[in-house]
Amino acid sequence: MTLKKINPPKPVKFCVLTALLVAVYLIIAIPFKVMSVIPGFTDIRPVMLLKPVFGIFFGIPGCLAFAVGNLIGDIMSGSLRWSSAAGFIANFLGPFVFYLFYMKIFKKPFYLRTIKDIIRQLAVIIISAVIEAVIISPAVKLLYPEIDMLLLFVTILLNGTVFPFMLGIPLMILMQEELGFKPVL
Amino acid sequence: MNKLQANICLICVTLCWSTEVIIFSCIPGNVLPFATTFICNAIAAIILGSCFYKRIKNELTRSGKKIILRCLLLGVLNCGYNTLYLYGIKHFDVSTGAFTFSMTVVVLPVVLITMKKTVGAKTWISVALVLTGIITALGGNITKISPVGLLLMLLGCIIRAVFIVKLNDFAGEFDSISLSAFISVFVAAISFVIWLVLQPETFAVIPWSGTIIASLFIHAYFIIAFAQTLNIFAQKRATATGATIIYSLEIVFSLIWGTVLPENLIERAVLTPFNIIGALLIVSGSVIEIIDINGKRRGIYDVKKN
Repeated sequence: MTLKKINPPKPVKFCVLTALLVAVYLIIAIPFKVMSVIPGFTDIRPVMLLKPVFGIFFGIPGCLAFAVGNLIGDIMSGSLRWSSAAGFIANFLGPFVFYLFYMKIFKKPFYLRTIKDIIRQLAVIIISAVIEAVIISPAVKLLYPEIDMLLLFVTILLNGTVFPFMLGIPLMILMQEELGFKPVL
Repeated sequence: MNKLQANICLICVTLCWSTEVIIFSCIPGNVLPFATTFICNAIAAIILGSCFYKRIKNELTRSGKKIILRCLLLGVLNCGYNTLYLYGIKHFDVSTGAFTFSMTVVVLPVVLITMKKTVGAKTWISVALVLTGIITALGGNITKISPVGLLLMLLGCIIRAVFIVKLNDFAGEFDSISLSAFISVFVAAISFVIWLVLQPETFAVIPWSGTIIASLFIHAYFIIAFAQTLNIFAQKRATATGATIIYSLEIVFSLIWGTVLPENLIERAVLTPFNIIGALLIVSGSVIEIIDINGKRRGIYDVKKN
């Protein structure tokens, strides 16, 4: 509201929105760092539920916030490694896949009101998770050969699929249908 | 939100609730459940209050004392059934207790009938399937059930059924976020009083650590602020029985977590054929309730109708 009254220039709005979304990401991500599957590399990450939410409702600032949030999370939990660079790219592309799909490919208003909508959303979630896993796992394996690449790949894939599907979809329904959020697409 | 969306949200709520065991596994046994209930509900109330201050204030102006009294009732019922479960479950092993906990689904239609509300044939079929599922999953353990434990759990289930019916009624009457915030306030207040009586040292007893604080926060925003609010929004579109049948999936999710998650997160569950058949029956009972047998298509226009 305050932002609207002052009417700041677009880059300022972009930065403020990104910073706010990074804060939301961190509030959800940091406590879950206590649950580690492969210590230092990956954990159970319900924060992945924000991936479609950030991409669809906030666009590029959302994608950037998702990547920056993940990077800051790595720094704060002491797990910043060279592979975090791959993590940054993958975590930007994760929400960007949703943005790109609904903006450039589907080209219809975003809704989750029918089974068809849900199946379409699930397909995009899987594509996004595969892209992330394909970027992160080989990068980690290359830098840290002792890591079980298959386990890492599966964990990233499951984190990127289960949470956006089981938690992200209900959150988006709540945001769009009851809380009045509008997709940027 | 249409009915399909409401059912999806209820499944999500059940999934969140099923993770409670995982989250609380990080909290030492000497911390009383009333302490965690107080802390988590207080945090959730603060989160909801600060994020939706204006909305809550407007609802309070609109409905006045009414919403406060309704939430007080819901808070008392919530604390009532949780306390009964807490003492009842001590008479069972983990899996038997968990399946007994799902009995609400059987009790609820009876509660509805005593309240002179109708229950459809489809719901009775679902209830029968879920009940068969619970009995099958209990298998041989059914003969070892302690009568005292069973009585406590049954009482807990009756109170929970009344809670669900009342919540379902109030969800259509008041703003969901305000309801969720006030329920958290009252549950926190009641739990604090019980905690103070049982453990006068209160906060000094908790061995504070990063892990405990993280677990409490996760529970507060994930299971209370998010799942409880989502549940109330979904209850606007769902029936009390439909919601309870979906809630019975909690045991199925718990079995899945116990099978797939690593041992450092959760006690591994040993799957028996009885458990698997029981879980499948519970799932089929829920599917029957969720699926629209008449095959009506629900789309954008149904939102207006609803």
